Amino acid sequence: MNDPRREPEAASGEDAQLVAYLDGELDDESRAALERRLGDDAPFRQRLQQLQQVWDVLDVLPRATADESFTRTTLELAVVRDAGQAARPPGGGRLWAGPRLRRLATLAVAGLAGYLVVAVAVQRPQRQMLRDLPVIENLDVYQYVDSVEFLRMLEREGLFPPEEHDVP
Amino acid sequence: MASSEAIIRGSPVLDPDTLLMLQVRDDSAEAFEQLVVRYQTRLLTVLEHLCGNRTQAEDLAQEVFLRVYRARKRYVPGAKFSTWLFKIANNVASNARRSRRRRREVNLVGRESGPLGARPLDKLAQAASGLMPTRRLDKAEIVEAVQLAMQSLNDRQRMVVLLSKFEEMSYTDIADTMGMTTPAIKSLLFRARGQLRTILEPYLNEGQLPPGEE
Repeated sequence: MNDPRREPEAASGEDAQLVAYLDGELDDESRAALERRLGDDAPFRQRLQQLQQVWDVLDVLPRATADESFTRTTLELAVVRDAGQAARPPGGGRLWAGPRLRRLATLAVAGLAGYLVVAVAVQRPQRQMLRDLPVIENLDVYQYVDSVEFLRMLEREGLFPPEEHDVP
Repeated sequence: MASSEAIIRGSPVLDPDTLLMLQVRDDSAEAFEQLVVRYQTRLLTVLEHLCGNRTQAEDLAQEVFLRVYRARKRYVPGAKFSTWLFKIANNVASNARRSRRRRREVNLVGRESGPLGARPLDKLAQAASGLMPTRRLDKAEIVEAVQLAMQSLNDRQRMVVLLSKFEEMSYTDIADTMGMTTPAIKSLLFRARGQLRTILEPYLNEGQLPPGEE
């Protein structure tokens, strides 16, 4: 297996020296020798300028900015998660287990509430229909009657025998 | 474990951020906030150029700060705080890259829109070869070209350039941050700069780019 600490091969040559010089990584003796050569060797000096130019153009790369919201959420995230981890009993599972369980419980409660609402909404018309069943069953007869008052009068006269299904 | 005050008395040369981190270790929320404020833009800048995506950079930066906070009780002042922080950032970014590869997500490096149009790296390569006529660059195109040149680097080369250029880290600090030797960092940086030069130099000298991408 490759050892990443050994990669890549060491740089060498004039350009490597120039890069190290630009990066301020040469020792005093090497730097003095290189500067003497730069004074005498115009192509060598031009090479240095080219390397510097390419390095300088990286300055156009935009710098990121962080707004207050990022700072706040970062702080909250760190403190809240850390607190969650500290509150968990030893061997209590992964960091996200607590919040995840809470989310599942919330979902279950919401699902149950939704079921109840739907069930009540569906049953309401059925209940109304059950209450109206005696009327529906005798609808043909009622069509011959002009008014409810007339029916009540007949009932007071004892014309209708009591029926079991009159009461819902 | 010794308190931060005892460590400060016994160590005359601790950078201010290390002192803040020692206060974080003693559960100072204010010190942690100061560290976040001091480093968030620097961290976001490096991570955004590293992964090429602002949203992901924010997620990774928050993960880095979260790890710093979680590790506070184990913190022992050694190297500079910034070196320690960017070492964590490098690990977090590496893990994220590995996860992305496992999920076979599309790499954002090969973006196909922007001032340079489709397959911009190919066009930069053509420009470098002198096969295409040229026209003058505007500012947005220079930024785009430099970003594309950066994206042409491999992950380690890009990280070493970002730490050297933006964080002005020494070879030794970069080596510590990336878990490599100093000669390896020197070589990596040399090769990265060579790659950037190959792509950017031909038209930077003339201030020109390939035509047809108005």
